Amino acid sequence: MTGRVFAGVDAGSSATKCVVLRFEPGGETVVGHAVTPSGFDYADASARALREALAAADASEEQIAAAVATGYGRASVRFPDGVPRRSITEITCHARGAREWYPAVRHVIDIGGQDTKVIRLCDRGRMADYRMNAKCAAGTGTFLESIAVRLGLPLAEVDALAMRSTTRLTLNSYCTVFTSTEVLERIKAGDAKEDIAMGMFRAIASRVIEMLAAGGRDGPVAATGGVVTYCPAMRRALEEALEVPVHRPPLPQHAGAYGAALLAAEGAAEGDSIALHAAPEVRRDAGRSGSCACDDPPRRNAPSCADSASLRGRPC
Amino acid sequence: MGETALKRVEIEAAGRLRALMRRYFLDLDEAAKDPGRRVAWCTSVGPCEILAAFGFAVYFPENHGALLGTKKISHEIIPRAAGLGYSAEACSYMNSDIGCDLLGCSPLRAMYGIDGPPRPDLLVYSTNQCRDVQEWFHYFGHRHEAMVAGLRPPRHLGEVTAEHVADVRVQLERLIEQIEIRFELRLDRRRLRETVERSSRLSVLWGRVLDTARHRPSPLTFWDMLIHMAPVILMRGSEEAIAYYEALLAEMEERNASGAAAVPGERWRIYWEGMPVWPRLRDLSEKFFDLRAAVVASTYCNSWAFEPYDGGDPLDWMARTSLAIFINRDEASKERFLEQTFARFGVDGAVFHNARTCPNNTNSRYGMPERLRERLDLPVLVLDGDLSDLRFFSTAQSMTNIEAFIEQMEGRS
Repeated sequence: MTGRVFAGVDAGSSATKCVVLRFEPGGETVVGHAVTPSGFDYADASARALREALAAADASEEQIAAAVATGYGRASVRFPDGVPRRSITEITCHARGAREWYPAVRHVIDIGGQDTKVIRLCDRGRMADYRMNAKCAAGTGTFLESIAVRLGLPLAEVDALAMRSTTRLTLNSYCTVFTSTEVLERIKAGDAKEDIAMGMFRAIASRVIEMLAAGGRDGPVAATGGVVTYCPAMRRALEEALEVPVHRPPLPQHAGAYGAALLAAEGAAEGDSIALHAAPEVRRDAGRSGSCACDDPPRRNAPSCADSASLRGRPC
Repeated sequence: MGETALKRVEIEAAGRLRALMRRYFLDLDEAAKDPGRRVAWCTSVGPCEILAAFGFAVYFPENHGALLGTKKISHEIIPRAAGLGYSAEACSYMNSDIGCDLLGCSPLRAMYGIDGPPRPDLLVYSTNQCRDVQEWFHYFGHRHEAMVAGLRPPRHLGEVTAEHVADVRVQLERLIEQIEIRFELRLDRRRLRETVERSSRLSVLWGRVLDTARHRPSPLTFWDMLIHMAPVILMRGSEEAIAYYEALLAEMEERNASGAAAVPGERWRIYWEGMPVWPRLRDLSEKFFDLRAAVVASTYCNSWAFEPYDGGDPLDWMARTSLAIFINRDEASKERFLEQTFARFGVDGAVFHNARTCPNNTNSRYGMPERLRERLDLPVLVLDGDLSDLRFFSTAQSMTNIEAFIEQMEGRS
């Protein structure tokens, strides 16, 4: 591939994601993406993710015109020398990515490894306000992982169980540790494990509701992040709690990196000023004319479901 | 957000402040060791003018609590207090001060070469801020076998009425009587009036220092104010403190005349609501500085800017000012004050600190940020943390929150 590309790297607490974009007259195209465990070395993980995404795009480091680092480990992300780079929070990047897929979206729920964010967008697409979970694992991916470990089940199996739930069950504990204990008590009490598993996702959804309530629930909602990527039960729990359909973009886990790459391109186009502004006009949600297998066809040129399918089955 | 090395302009008066603080603590230490002098402990917006007029050297344990926070040791010593039955979710100033006492340690030793807080002869609290001070003072009263007296003013007031003032005035008279009997002293009423006059002058000067931050760019920030507010809390009625604030005010006015900025290239003006996060002052101040954001006003620092004394009954003034402080007002009054202050200082956004162990000085728990955000169309951030206990604070998460908050404002501009 020839020409300039823009890179976004989202160094999250659990996984580091990278998206490489190419801009053409008709709009941007995702030409490569990658995800890799963050481990203890964000610099190494980000270099690996960038290398894999560039390889997928058949592009080289020299073609990177601008880059943006985001995520918990954004300060540690390393880009090749000479590449103009900026650091932007994952809150802004997730909002930007989700808005590109669904221009009319008003709420973005990002459930990550250690943070859950609820971002409210105004009708012009700019960030109106946002909320993050408190210093606590409850309501995050770590919450699910911890309980899954306690149960000795892979997370994918917990999700599969939850999807077979038929009876509503609510877990009452607020804390990850106490929820684990409550899950064991429920098992002893004879509750169906499918319902207990769904109760875990419902517990996360209830935390999201707390953060969402302040901004109201008007307008379309999109959910992003690793949990939504690998656990369909999470989306189901959110839809049940919010009582509205929840958009799941084709690459939910890459929403931050996608937004970062978009902001890299926009920043490069606007000189040094940070392009955090709303799109000039909100475009209608428009899918790929029925060719996409997504539940929620995104706007044209966005990464496809085929892209996300390649990620499924990987451990959270 | 690019980070550019900006040059911070030091406040010249800071050297003078250090000397002033040193003299204050050395004098307290001397008073505690001198059989001819007495030490009284007092809460920060308590009736210290009466104690000073009686001749007590006045010490404020809340200052020690904040000091323990800045030394980043509160979270290590609080468990000692918790072991005595004080909830880890109760005031972290109180818990860290008690924990410090149990361990026999104090940063005052390294800072001023004194053993620690001065041994009290008398402890006087006012619950105009919170109930925790009552338990805190009783712990130390019991520990030192010293007299403990308390004022319990009416709380959460809308308007401060004559009846409220009369209530507290009666309590002040009773306090005077208790001290006179216990220590066989007689209050010199003229000395009380003079102390109140000086206390008021000090407070008015402090208010004028804070007001210099209305200038664009601001000559000082919340982070500076937190350091320079010590005399207005600890030395009410002191001529030395008045001279200090006259010098500080002159320096700030000079900065404004020359256009010197506390945050060079000031882009954003922020309001801080609630307690400081003492153990993370440096991290927070550097983060805001790098983001070109000047925190220009705060509820906390404004809490010692009282209305001027008009020359009437000094006890009336003491009663009224102790009732009128922000923390003692109802939600509607607080909200009105914040709205007016946001406008006076021309802020672009407000940070509400949800201090987990200080519900009384936290105003983000009953919808106030949301109401102000909606009504004023002002970006508002609620930051989870604590005044001292780092176990309730995540630096990484808070920094992301602050950066996103500025990005939100960027997006609006």
